[in-house]
Amino acid sequence: MAIKPVLHIVQRDFKYFFRYKWWVAGMISMNLADLFIMAIVYTRMVNPDIITDYFVFFAPGLTITALFAAAFMIGREINMEVRREISHYMLSLPIKRWELAIGRVLAGGLRGIIYMAPLLVTTLIITYIYTSVFPHPLQFLTIVLALFLISIGTSGLSIALAVSTTSFEKYITARGVVYYVLFFCSTVFYPMNLIQTALPQLVLLAQYNPLSCGADLSRAFLLGNPPFSPFMLVDIALFALIFASLATFAYMKVTQK
Amino acid sequence: MPPIIRMVNLTKKFGEFTAVDHLNLEVEEGEILGLLGPNGAGKTTTLLMLTTVIKPTEGTAFVGPYDVGQEPDKARTLIGMAFQEPKLLWVDSPWDILNWHAKVCGLSAEERKKKVRWVLEQVELWNDRLKSVHAFSGGMRKRVEIAKILIQRPKIAIVDEPTAQIDIVGKHRIWNMLRELRDEGSTILLATNELYEADVLSDRVAIMHKGKLLVCDEPKKLKDSIPGGDVVEIALEKDITTAALAKLKEIPRVVNVLTIKQNQLKIYLNQAEEVLPKITEFFMKERLQVKSIRMSEPSLDDVFAHYTGLTIEEAQRE
Repeated sequence: MAIKPVLHIVQRDFKYFFRYKWWVAGMISMNLADLFIMAIVYTRMVNPDIITDYFVFFAPGLTITALFAAAFMIGREINMEVRREISHYMLSLPIKRWELAIGRVLAGGLRGIIYMAPLLVTTLIITYIYTSVFPHPLQFLTIVLALFLISIGTSGLSIALAVSTTSFEKYITARGVVYYVLFFCSTVFYPMNLIQTALPQLVLLAQYNPLSCGADLSRAFLLGNPPFSPFMLVDIALFALIFASLATFAYMKVTQK
Repeated sequence: MPPIIRMVNLTKKFGEFTAVDHLNLEVEEGEILGLLGPNGAGKTTTLLMLTTVIKPTEGTAFVGPYDVGQEPDKARTLIGMAFQEPKLLWVDSPWDILNWHAKVCGLSAEERKKKVRWVLEQVELWNDRLKSVHAFSGGMRKRVEIAKILIQRPKIAIVDEPTAQIDIVGKHRIWNMLRELRDEGSTILLATNELYEADVLSDRVAIMHKGKLLVCDEPKKLKDSIPGGDVVEIALEKDITTAALAKLKEIPRVVNVLTIKQNQLKIYLNQAEEVLPKITEFFMKERLQVKSIRMSEPSLDDVFAHYTGLTIEEAQRE
């Protein structure tokens, strides 16, 4: 594989993302506002016996939420390109199909990471205030790696959905279902012990859900609870590998009728 | 020299509908081949198969030495395409579109800087280079699409209706640019439903209808191939006799003579430029003085009508 064509594709998609810089800035501000609303309202509403400080608990989850939303955006763009046949242009370029597909998955992943960066910094500050401890550089790198892999997997998932759905309505519906299932059955918003008590049927799904693993891996290194398990990283890596491969395959096959 | 593009039973079906039906066509290196036909003739589908954007249902095509089905990645290295509908995202500016396109096609930063400027000046978009194409008219967007080919200068340039929505001055500019591209060594495959464009620009014209190739030859040969395609209208000082009319009909290549009035004739013939001196000589011999003479050649529309029984407009409506 030549790296240059992949980089050209990444550069293009990356540039598009920042064409909407005011929109991106607005969204990040909204995410931060969500976080502080949590701080004021939810922390006082949630029973401290279940979650000691909901604000601090939720902060790592919010980075996952933001990361997921930003990485998912590439799918919407690709779906639009397929509908408007802009994909014909991309497919006619002197680039190998899989370089094109990998470039797009990678671009989606990088967009997620860049978008999430200010929220991760905010989370680091908040958890430092709470615990007075910064994660070890290796722990920090593990968090970034895990988040990057989640971003890649999410990008792949959104691309696979985008090229497999024939209309924008179907894509939006599929996206809604994916959002709902992945976030509802995860530990992004509430801890595992709560799921075990309230919705035991969802425990298995929540355990294997890469968003749960991502949120809990961050919490493990930032808050010390739940404990870190290598399974988290393996689960996330598998998610990235499966959906990046699926997206590459789907993009190659479906866009070329 | 082997043909640079060779289509062998190239077929594309969308469900029950056959868009391209067993197309066999060769494009010679360095020529402009016009693919002429009404909307829905299968021209764009053919081009999309050649650029490996869509896969043939049956048959194949060779682009250079590469089979589009077996080695699509290699085939694409020889091809550049300007699409019928500009494939642009509304947030793009012409500068960004061309700069990125040139980068993907392997131009260095230095080459890009020069060439992007040159091409934008050529298509008269230099002053609008940083504006979003969202604000552009259809003609301006089309010029951005054509500019991609001009900057890429591929071995095989495929252009789909390159001057649709472009004013007449712009059309001539684009035609000249495509001729320059051909003169520099590119082969050009031009799909169009504009008869005049196909006629003035193409070295050879392939006429398609309902997915099938009807005929392919040089425009002049195609026109000459229609029996009685040339029309000469002659007004005489005095009426022609029945005997003279019979003699006139016997002149080789005269297909038919229509008597509008006894001193006004419409002669249908082939290769008028060769036969006309004989006709004037005949009238002189018959002591029939010619008052006026008007000659009209058949158009490619006549050629299309000859093969399909329909004008391009009628076929389009069909």
